[in-house]
Formats: sequence, structure tokens, C-alpha cells
Amino acid sequence: MRTTTRAAGVALLALTAVTACSSGSGDTGAAASGAAAACEPAGEPVTLTFTSWIPGIEDVVALWNEDNPDIQVEVQTGPNGNGGTYQNFFNQLEAGNAPDLGQVEYDALPNFRVQDGLVDLSACDDVVAAQDEFVDWTWQQVQLGEDDAVYAIPQDAGPMALFYRADLFEQYGIEVPTTWEEFATAAEQVRATGGYITNFSQADVNQFAGLVWQAGGSWFGNDGDQWTVDLTSEESEKVAAYWDDLIERDLVSTYPGWTTEWDNAYNTGEVWTWNSAVWGANSIMTGAPDTAGAWRVAPSPQWEDGGESAGNWGGSTTVVFQGTEHVYEAAQFALWLNTSEEALTALIEAANLYPATTEGAALPALAEGVEFYGGQPIYDVFAEASTQVSPDFVWGPTMTQVYNDVSDGFSTAISGDQTLPEALAEAEESTVAALEAQAIPVAS
Amino acid sequence: MTTAVVPGRRRAPRVTHKRAIAVFVAPFATLFTLFYLVPIGYAVYQSTLVVEREGTFGPPTQVFGGLAQYAQVMQSSAFWDSVLRVLLFGIVQVPVMLGLALLFALLLDSPLVRGRRFFRLAFFVPYAVPGVIAAIMWGFLYSPNLSPFRPVTQSVDLLSADLVLWAIANVVTWVFVGYNMLIIYSSLLAIPAEVYEAARLDGASQVRIAWSIKIPLVMPAIILTAIFSIIGTLQLLAEPQVFRTFSSAVTSTFTPNLLVYSTASVPNVPLAAAFSVVLALATFVLSFTFLKVTQRKAFQ
Repeated sequence: MRTTTRAAGVALLALTAVTACSSGSGDTGAAASGAAAACEPAGEPVTLTFTSWIPGIEDVVALWNEDNPDIQVEVQTGPNGNGGTYQNFFNQLEAGNAPDLGQVEYDALPNFRVQDGLVDLSACDDVVAAQDEFVDWTWQQVQLGEDDAVYAIPQDAGPMALFYRADLFEQYGIEVPTTWEEFATAAEQVRATGGYITNFSQADVNQFAGLVWQAGGSWFGNDGDQWTVDLTSEESEKVAAYWDDLIERDLVSTYPGWTTEWDNAYNTGEVWTWNSAVWGANSIMTGAPDTAGAWRVAPSPQWEDGGESAGNWGGSTTVVFQGTEHVYEAAQFALWLNTSEEALTALIEAANLYPATTEGAALPALAEGVEFYGGQPIYDVFAEASTQVSPDFVWGPTMTQVYNDVSDGFSTAISGDQTLPEALAEAEESTVAALEAQAIPVAS
Repeated sequence: MTTAVVPGRRRAPRVTHKRAIAVFVAPFATLFTLFYLVPIGYAVYQSTLVVEREGTFGPPTQVFGGLAQYAQVMQSSAFWDSVLRVLLFGIVQVPVMLGLALLFALLLDSPLVRGRRFFRLAFFVPYAVPGVIAAIMWGFLYSPNLSPFRPVTQSVDLLSADLVLWAIANVVTWVFVGYNMLIIYSSLLAIPAEVYEAARLDGASQVRIAWSIKIPLVMPAIILTAIFSIIGTLQLLAEPQVFRTFSSAVTSTFTPNLLVYSTASVPNVPLAAAFSVVLALATFVLSFTFLKVTQRKAFQ
């Protein structure tokens, strides 16, 4: 009796933010969802393990542990996904000792799915009921093309906009570009002053993917029978040719991203803009502290005059890994972490996350002006961008390999030995080969 | 072996010794098996698997695939490019490094040099710096914008695609010269003084002694360091991995071990295992060939 009331209490707590919820009790519908894992409460206290790299996540989880003595969550932290944590996850899944919950970015979800690493949470009624709370495209990303499946709970999004040095643009009388054409013209003007308008980091292939996303392209398709790989679509080639031209004419710098050298280029004012995701706001603050107050945020340049399209870079989810014995409890925690006002406010404050729920994105913590950006309420720009992100972009099942191969190709291109479109064509070939090596059906 | 002369007497004590031997060998044998033989066996086993699945998101099953992964290895241009890259690296870097190590060792051993203990330590100190730290430090020294020698690094981009391999070679040389020097030097110390005395009586100069006596006598030590260096070259990982954060020219397939690492993180474990096995065999063949060729000359 006591455990059931507790479980009900937990369910209620997780649902505080749910408005369009019909019923939070009962999980008897599990069998109907086919492959979906059963979602039954354990009926006894459980301890879950959760691996994440979000700074300050321990404090957020501590809030949950305080209120939920029967579902205790132990946090392990590691480097960011491609920095090593994904590799650990894959190894742990192979060894059968993966944590119950993990932090996984949208672009890596198909990769884990194809290794059979993710639990389908669609048997959990609370999870299904939470769909309406999330921004459409984020939910689309966790369904992986299956109508009834839910492979992760979206946590944050990375809608993209243009961070720019307002002071420098003003000082040299250069207009802040609103289209990519203007951006190229401005690039010439900026170069004439000795600086670079932006940096092209060959290893940030997911940023490049965000630019293709904005242009309306998609790199992958999955019709249920086979995958299509389309790194060389018209949109993708257009974006590649555009940047190839800028690199060729030495109008953009090419420092490897996330390095001291790169920080230095921004901190000294050598590089003027960064077309980046909302979480990039934090990266500039820590990487270029000397430029405080000089930055502003504008919508990303558009391909067409007056266009309204935004790309997305990054953003992650909370997944439940195969091998867990507590799907129900894990789902409850994941929902609380990513929908409750309490958790989201803590995440915003600790890590500048931009929530994937519509209510989360409207939290007071995001409405204020940001001092580093001259008091501009920058999140308004990203809120606008978030509604303009296309839901149709599909990630492939071997993104780690795709990123490596595209990045290697880009690196050759930066050295001047080939072009960016050629690099994409090569990576498309190697990606098809990589899918075949994993016995993943692919249209060639 | 020599005990076989009196078989009847020796047999009994040897049985009790066997236990003692087992006890003494056990710690090594256990660790050697657990952390060396078993992982190698597991890698060989994994390299014979292939993945099968049904549908776009079908759960993967690993089945025996014979030499399918090895066929992939043979066709992988990235793998052979990386092997050629480290071979080129080795052909240039190993002789330079060992030449310097030999020169320093001979200088330390020569009676003309003062402050021997200081120099011995000074040459050896870089080896005490962990490889990753050394690479980070040199990365900053090479950097066009952050280097204390900016006039140089801005006019010659040491981190560009053309030069980065040799920039890395310099780091490896810096770290390992002292180590190799010490091996050669300790071998020099083992040469009996009478040999030198005889040489001096015959009127040989210091240079002549070094060339005709010291170098031939320490040849086995030089060959040993050469083999260590060949193995180390083929296994280059830390330095290029660190340099990826300084130079966009270092790809994820720059050296064979980097390729193994990035293949394993796809995750395509069977192919990564096959790469590793081929690399290990190549290292073995190369070291063994080198040993055979040089032994004939050195130990006659």
C-alpha cells in the first residue's frame, strides 16, 4: 500500500507540468506496443545510475533524490559524448553493464538504436502523454521515424543564430548581414580590416550539418526498409560550395574549434562572428572573456532575402539503456529532469541549457537580458529560431564515422588539396561502405 | 640443461623446486595471461566476426565471418596510407634520434667532457615528461598565434599539412633521445678499460677509439633501441591525437593506431580488431626482419 501511494506520488510529481494529461496511472497497455519494453513500477525502492556530462548535473539530481527516497539516482560524469562518453556507452552496452540512464545527443540516437542500445519508452503512458509539451521537431528526433516509438526524452535544443561583435561592425561601418550573400560581402569588408568574419572549424561537422539543415537539406533518409545517404544533395552542395569559396579566398579563418587557439582568435577580436547554437552563448563567455559587452545576437543569415529558416546544432536527450531493470522509474526521472520547472530552471542556471519543452523555453530564467551581451535578451532570438527549425532532418546510424570522414575530408580541403563538395562526395561513399559493414540496408 | 649430466640424483630436488618456481612465476604468469594473452586472443576472435541484422534498425547479431574483416583491411586505403605515413616518419625520425642519442652517449663517455652528471640528467629529463604533456607543450610552441616565437611560427606554419608530421617527429625525438642515450651510455660503461688502454698504446685518437671500438661494441644496444623505436613509431597515438587540437591537418586516420581508435568508436569493433591484428603482425615482421638483417653484421 505504502509503495503504491509513493509511486503515485512520484508519477504526480513528474506530471506537474503536464496540462494535457488524460491519466497517469496504470501501465497495462505495455503488450500492445509490440517491441516496447514493459513499463511497470518495481514496487520497491530502486537505485538508478545516470551518466551525463552536463556541468552541475549532480546538484540537479540532488533535488530529485531529496524528494524521491524510493528512486535514488546516482550520477556519473564524463567527457562530452564524442569526447569519449559515447565510446564508453558502446563498450558498456557490449559488456552488458550500461548505466540505466544516459545523456545522448540527437545526432547519436540512431547510432545507439542501431546497436540495439535504447529502450523504447512508448509503453510508459506518462512518456506518451508528455509529447505535447515538447517542441515538435525535438519529439520527431526521438521517434527515429517510427510513429509509436519514443527512444529518448528530449532535454535541450540548439537552435542557431548569429553571434556577432556589434562594436567592430559599428566601428568599421559594416552592415550586419541578414542573408548569406550579404555575409560573403561583409566577409570581404572584414578581411580588409585585417580580421576574419568567422571561423570554419573542420571538426565541427555537426555545425556544418546545422547549416545544411537550415538550407532545407537532410543527410539521411530511412523508409523502414533501407537507408538513403545523401551528403551530396543540392542543398548540401550549395552550402559546401559557399564555404569552399570563402575558405579559398581566405575570408574565413580555419582554426580547429574548441582549442586555445580558437578561443584566442575570438578573445583578441580577430574573428567577428559565430553562427552557432544557443548554448554557444556560454562558450563565448568562457572562451573570450575580454570581449564582454561587445557581443550581440541576430537571426542567422538566410539563403533567401526575407527567409525564415533556422538550423540546429546539438542538443541532447536522456535515454534509457537496454539492460535496465527499472524502465518505469528511469522514465519517471527522465521526465522530471526534462519537463519540470524545478529541474529545468536548475539546468538553465547550471549549464545554460535551452529546454526542449515549450514551457521550459518560456521560463523566467531565460527572459532576462544577458550582461555579457550588452543586456540583450538573447534567448528571444533563439526562441524565434527554435520555431523555424525544420522537423525533417534525419541523422544516420553511424554519425561518429560520418563526422570523422567528413572532418578528414574538410581538413584536406582546408589544406587546398580538394574542395568541400568533393569531401562530401567521398564521405558519402565511405558512409555507404560503413553502413554495409554493419549490415545496415542502404540504397546505393 | 647442464644438470642433465647426473639425471638420477637431480630429479628429486627438482620436483620440490617446481612448486617454488610455480609460486614465483604465478604472479607474472597470471597477469601476463589476463592482460596480454587473453586480450590478444579476444581481439583475434573478434576480428573473425561480422555483423548481421534485419531491417534498418534490426538488432545486430555477430556471427563468424572468416576473414571478411581482413579483406576490408587489405582494401582500406586509409589504413595503408597511415602505415606508409608512419614508415616514412620512422625512416627519417629513428636514424636522426638514434644518431643524436649515440652522439650524446659518446660525448658523455669521452674523457674530455666536464659536468658529465649534469648533462646526463639534462638529456634524460625530457623522458620524464609524459608524452601527452610534451605534445601539448610543443603544440603551444608551434602555434602561429600563441607561440612565444611568433615571428618564426607565423612565417613557417609548422602545423600545416606539409610539416605537421615532422613537427610531431621533433616532439618524439625530444622525448626519446635521452632514454635511448642512457641505454647506449650504460652499454659504453660496460666496455673494459683494457681495450681503451690497448687502443691508446697503439696511438688511436679519441675519435678513432669512438669509431673503431666504442660503436662496434655498443652495436647490440643500438639495435635494441632501434627495435624499440620501430615498434614505438608504428604505435604512434598520443602525440598525433594531441596535435589534433592544434592542427586541422591531423586526420582521424593519421596513424594506424588513430585509425583503430576511430574505427572502434564507430563502433565497428570487428574491423578495429582486424586492423590491430594486422598492425601487430606488421610490427612483428618489421622488427624481426630488422633484427635478422642487423644481427648478421653486429654479432659476428
